[in-house]
Amino acid sequence: MFAHIYVNRLKCILKDKQIIFWTLMFPILLGTLFYLAFSNLSSAENFSRIPIAIIDNSEYQNSMLKTTIAYVSTDSGSENKMFEVTLTDEKGAEGLLKDNKIKGYILLKSDIGIKLTIKQSGLDQTLIKSFLDTFSQMNSTFTRIIQSDPKKYSDPSKRTELLKSSGYNSSILLEKAASKSKPDTTVNYFYTLIAMACLYGGFLGLKEIGALQADLSPEGARINVAPVHKMIILLSALAAALTVHFAEILVVLAYLIFVLKINFGDQIGFILLLSFVSCMLGLSFGAFVTSVVKKREGIKIGILTGASMFLSFLAGMMYVDIKYMIIKNAPIVGYLNPANLITDGFYALYFYDDHTRFYINLAGILIFTALFCIGTYLVLRRRRYASL
Amino acid sequence: MQVFKAYFLVIKKNLPQMFIYAGIFLALAVMISSLNKPTPAGEFSQSKIRLAIFNNDTKSQITNELKGFLSKNTEIVLLEDNNEKIQDALFFRNVEYIIRIPAGFAESLRSQKAMQIEKTSVPGSTTAIYTDLLINNFINTTLRYVKFEPLISDKGLAENVKKDLEINTKVEMKSFDTYSGNTLSIVYYFNYLSYSLFAILILGVSAFMMVFNNVDLKRRNLCAPFSSKSLNFQIFLGNLVFAVCVFVVLVGFSFVLYGRDMLTTNAALMCLNTVTFTFAAISASFLIGNFASPNSAPAITNVVTLGTCFISGVFVPQQFLGSTVLSVASFTPTFWFVKANNEIGSMINFSSENLFRLGGYMVTELVFAVLFLVIGFFVAKKRRVTKG
Repeated sequence: MFAHIYVNRLKCILKDKQIIFWTLMFPILLGTLFYLAFSNLSSAENFSRIPIAIIDNSEYQNSMLKTTIAYVSTDSGSENKMFEVTLTDEKGAEGLLKDNKIKGYILLKSDIGIKLTIKQSGLDQTLIKSFLDTFSQMNSTFTRIIQSDPKKYSDPSKRTELLKSSGYNSSILLEKAASKSKPDTTVNYFYTLIAMACLYGGFLGLKEIGALQADLSPEGARINVAPVHKMIILLSALAAALTVHFAEILVVLAYLIFVLKINFGDQIGFILLLSFVSCMLGLSFGAFVTSVVKKREGIKIGILTGASMFLSFLAGMMYVDIKYMIIKNAPIVGYLNPANLITDGFYALYFYDDHTRFYINLAGILIFTALFCIGTYLVLRRRRYASL
Repeated sequence: MQVFKAYFLVIKKNLPQMFIYAGIFLALAVMISSLNKPTPAGEFSQSKIRLAIFNNDTKSQITNELKGFLSKNTEIVLLEDNNEKIQDALFFRNVEYIIRIPAGFAESLRSQKAMQIEKTSVPGSTTAIYTDLLINNFINTTLRYVKFEPLISDKGLAENVKKDLEINTKVEMKSFDTYSGNTLSIVYYFNYLSYSLFAILILGVSAFMMVFNNVDLKRRNLCAPFSSKSLNFQIFLGNLVFAVCVFVVLVGFSFVLYGRDMLTTNAALMCLNTVTFTFAAISASFLIGNFASPNSAPAITNVVTLGTCFISGVFVPQQFLGSTVLSVASFTPTFWFVKANNEIGSMINFSSENLFRLGGYMVTELVFAVLFLVIGFFVAKKRRVTKG
């Protein structure tokens, strides 16, 4: 009997185009849109050489600035290439700045020293200024050292030795990566997307519970008079829904990982486990809402959609900083949000070195699932219908 | 005017759904404009990256000097020294650079065998390169004094380094065209408005058309004693009044939110741009209304609005989108609407050349309007012939 109901429920679900759209096509579509919109966002913070111009005059040609710039500009063989330099006159530089071809231009004049001209403030501009500051500050250091013992530095060899120390020593900083994975914030959007897709599995729960209750659908009335234990009916229907839902989530995951190349880390087993329990959570969430809310179907769908979206919003689907604000200021709210538990589970697998946080999330998901299941069961058990 | 009245009966029934779109939009607009503090124009403001310092080497003048120097040039974030908290903060960019100064660091500087400072950053990012520059500059300056003036006291060393690092490069701001005051918020408001406007129009128009395309109702209407000309005119009028209402509510709110800042030529141009976009959106809604069925309407609304908005730069600015995405997006009116808005926002020179270009964008939106309308009529005609 179990197999009979299971197979037929499977067919019913697969023929429901609306359900398949919202639980499978919509996440894929949204994932594609996220990908199109966010793929350049993470590379936007990557450093790319800053285009600048320098006013080409005799002061510049004879200055130490020229050697220093040469050391960090594209023409040099050095690794610390910071700038893409154009040498031009003042008029040309202004034109380049106006057309956004350069971020700023540098003028060196004996009466005013170094002057940087920019159009707007920003990190690139700050970096150019900081570089020029460094240059002036180094000169000040040399002057101060020479003044402390002018006699000693009147000897040219001593002077050369001093100036040689302008070479850049950058070995003082030792990079220690925060994690084995890149701190790429945009992946969180895709994790919340999976969370949303799992919660959208609630539509399947809604459909199945609706199909089992005699007062909600004619199929429900028919099934209720069948000589089968209610538990078997319920379990077989939910098993069918879970099969479809898990298969859908696997398709969405495969699409994100293999087609869009979103990084989920490399712990495949844990990812599958998390996806599976998240599917159970979504399904039981829908079943719970359906059995508790005694209103027409449209309202139930509205509640499911609204709740899934709101919870995903809190998990950072529209604005990733929301998730961090919650983690930081009210972690308990994060743990009470099923969408955040799922998102955070994927995040923990991606970014953390150990599994503590992952297991906490997993436990949270299982607790929620159990609560939803018990709630549904309490509402649905021993239901009798005097009239329909 | 029965049809006209019926039009608004249908709209009234669907108001709650439309309120959700309008409400979320307006709430977000309020939130964003309160977050977006206008930046003072015409003055250079240094970008300050978010830095966390863990100092294990407290009792020394030079480390204190380093901390002082960094707190002047960056925004110091206080962070709990806990691996998970640090990882969270870095992933969500609450902090962009973390340094750990080892015990005995100052001593090691004095003896010219500087210990390494452990740093954690976003690899390859501009913020990392900038902060590297800052820290290396401090250390190199210190090392120069230690090397060439080995007898200098700790106090003298700290003072000299401080004096050197206070030297600043002159920065001149050239303002050709920069955002000022609230303009950036207003541009964002209008860009995002396109999403809500489009969604509400599709919802309303397709809801009405689904009712009126019902075959039984259509047959009943065809034998009613008024001309199809009058029927079509009333529907047209209904669409127009509906569109005007939505326009007034959404655009009107910008005047409430931004007040005087809306009384500029830029804002007026954005309103005009919104008028042309509304035409395109209402024709698109008419076209969609001809396809939609009650089951498919929500799916189509979501796909069309989210799809066009994501690729056209509503949610993520156009500058972050790839060129392929943008060229696909240029086949939607939303793209031209957003492009025009962005240009209007940064415009200070209303030359005929600039206005002509803007006019071109708006005409493009109107061409889309006509195109959708023609296809819509074609589909409607075809349906009339086949389904009677």
